[in-house]
Amino acid sequence: MENLKAVTQAMGNLDEAKLMNIINDFVSKNPAKGEVLEVIKACQDGMAIVGKLYEEDEYFVSDLVFSGELMTEAINILKPFIGDTSMVKVGSIVLGTVHGDMHDIGKNIFKSMVEAAGFKVYDLGIDQPASAFVEKVKEVKPDIVGLSGVLTLALESMKDTVAEIKEAGLRGNVKIIIGGNPVTKEACERIGADAFTTSAAEGVRICQKWIKV
Amino acid sequence: MNVHRVQQERKQLFEAVYNGIIPRRVPIMANLPIEFCIQYAGLPLAETQWTLDGIEDALDKACKIVGSDYYPFGFMRFPAPLQILGSRGFVMGSNGFIQHPEVTGMEVDEYDDFIKNPYDCILEKILPRLYPELDADPVTRSLIFAKAFKAHYDYQEFFMKIEAKMVQKYGFYTAPKGSLAAVTVPFDFLADFLRGFKGISMDVRRCPQKILEACEAVLPLQIKKGMPKRPSKYGQTFIPLHMGPYLRTSDFEKLYWPTFSKMVQIFSDAGQPCRLFCEHDWMRYLDYLQELPENTRLHFEYGDPKLVKEKLGKKHIISGFYPLTYLKTATKQQCIDKAKELIDVLAPGGKYVFAFDKSPVSLDSVDINNYIAVLEYIVQNTEYASAGELAPAVDKTVDKPAVTKEIPIFKSKYCRTWEEYKKGRPAIIAGLEHVIASKMQNYEDMLFDMISRLM
Repeated sequence: MENLKAVTQAMGNLDEAKLMNIINDFVSKNPAKGEVLEVIKACQDGMAIVGKLYEEDEYFVSDLVFSGELMTEAINILKPFIGDTSMVKVGSIVLGTVHGDMHDIGKNIFKSMVEAAGFKVYDLGIDQPASAFVEKVKEVKPDIVGLSGVLTLALESMKDTVAEIKEAGLRGNVKIIIGGNPVTKEACERIGADAFTTSAAEGVRICQKWIKV
Repeated sequence: MNVHRVQQERKQLFEAVYNGIIPRRVPIMANLPIEFCIQYAGLPLAETQWTLDGIEDALDKACKIVGSDYYPFGFMRFPAPLQILGSRGFVMGSNGFIQHPEVTGMEVDEYDDFIKNPYDCILEKILPRLYPELDADPVTRSLIFAKAFKAHYDYQEFFMKIEAKMVQKYGFYTAPKGSLAAVTVPFDFLADFLRGFKGISMDVRRCPQKILEACEAVLPLQIKKGMPKRPSKYGQTFIPLHMGPYLRTSDFEKLYWPTFSKMVQIFSDAGQPCRLFCEHDWMRYLDYLQELPENTRLHFEYGDPKLVKEKLGKKHIISGFYPLTYLKTATKQQCIDKAKELIDVLAPGGKYVFAFDKSPVSLDSVDINNYIAVLEYIVQNTEYASAGELAPAVDKTVDKPAVTKEIPIFKSKYCRTWEEYKKGRPAIIAGLEHVIASKMQNYEDMLFDMISRLM
């Protein structure tokens, strides 16, 4: 496909009409798997631009939410041409909002951005007990565990969750990142996580660094 | 402690600030959520919110540490009516805190219906989605609502009685009766319960014109909700601002600001000031906030206190900025130093009320000793040498007051005035009309207020 740059640019500009035009036009020609994977990569590059513009205060959280939707829309059109299995994953993350907290907007933004960066995400949902994280880590053996929360009380729940992962003997197998409004460096140290962030884009970069993408 | 004298002093502190006069010292508005107090008293959180057993003692215990000049307890969400209605928008989490998960009460293709008459659309379509027990046949729905109404006012009455006792016992300042209200700005109303954070983010890109029209359409309803029975310059309409910082400035200006500013101006013109809780970071919008009517109360969560004081400190009344998480992680001395640092920036020239950036939602979010130490420090160390003088005011030649547009009229077949009710009901005993009118209107208002609390 010649238009890979245009795909990246349309995604970066959050220009839905243009992006969907190019992609619909592309799939109408019954593309080969290799070509489709290139287009997906171009979309992912566009998402990286979105993340960069967010960090430069050009885009804001609402734009990140929209970009996640655009990415999902694009992947849904492209997926039938490649099948699920051929999407190579760079790493895997067990993600959830910790117990006591029912907020999921931040978690979902991070999920869509980190998926766009090629990670496999196991999303446990909101208000998840520490045991749910432990069980999932045992089951899927992820590279990373992501704990999300908005309320200040989520910090205590994050602490419990990390403690239980440690108690289950799994702490050495995973990196742990905490994210959300109340997290700080001090909180991160107290909780015993490896990293913290209040920005989904930065969170993605941290995960990439851990996996050395 | 002479409670009456304490109360008079506190009243003077707030009234001075609200009148643009330098108070004797910095007044304190430190809110303690009911959930915090229940935990502080060692009571089971979820169960106590249902039974209310021991709550009065719990609040009394909290009063002994709070050190707030203003009545410190906000409202809590009442679990019984929420359960009766099957609430999806307010749900108790596993730890007993009632929260607001992401919900969608209205689909994108329903904007036109909403714009035609927001309140009708809310009652007919949106409430039964957010409260699925109402999604029933008319008879069942009426019965469910009757139960919820009774439960709601049982809780409300319970807390009002406690408030009266605590004010009497501890001498807190409270606003004049009938001068408090709370409401959200039209854009936030659409985002919070109708379209959800995700939905509104899509709509901002895909159908901004519909958002704009919906905000204009819902403005009369929000004004009705936010206008108290007896507006007062010592009262306030509390407006928690939500979505602004999550939008691009251009989207904020086009979609959020017009009905927001109009609403605050309309309250102000009626003699009712607003207290805005500026959630997250509002530093991009200081020039907009500067345009709001004089003496708007602005409570900041994050940002640069110095910049805010410089830009807004002469026109508006500033609060907030003190990072609550500090009370958990820093030493007592560091906490006091932080208070001093903020006081040095924000207190000069008056027009400042001390408040933390947010309320301590749970007991473990703060170290109580630090909390007490900071508030004691404020009480003992913030006296003004220039008390009683006029606070420096804005230069009126520079300040251009906004012009209030004509107040839009709220209309819905589900909320009638006495005159509307009376039509077609000639059998009302003539001599009793004023008595009946007042009773009937009161129940109509109670129902409207309860529904307002549901979203």
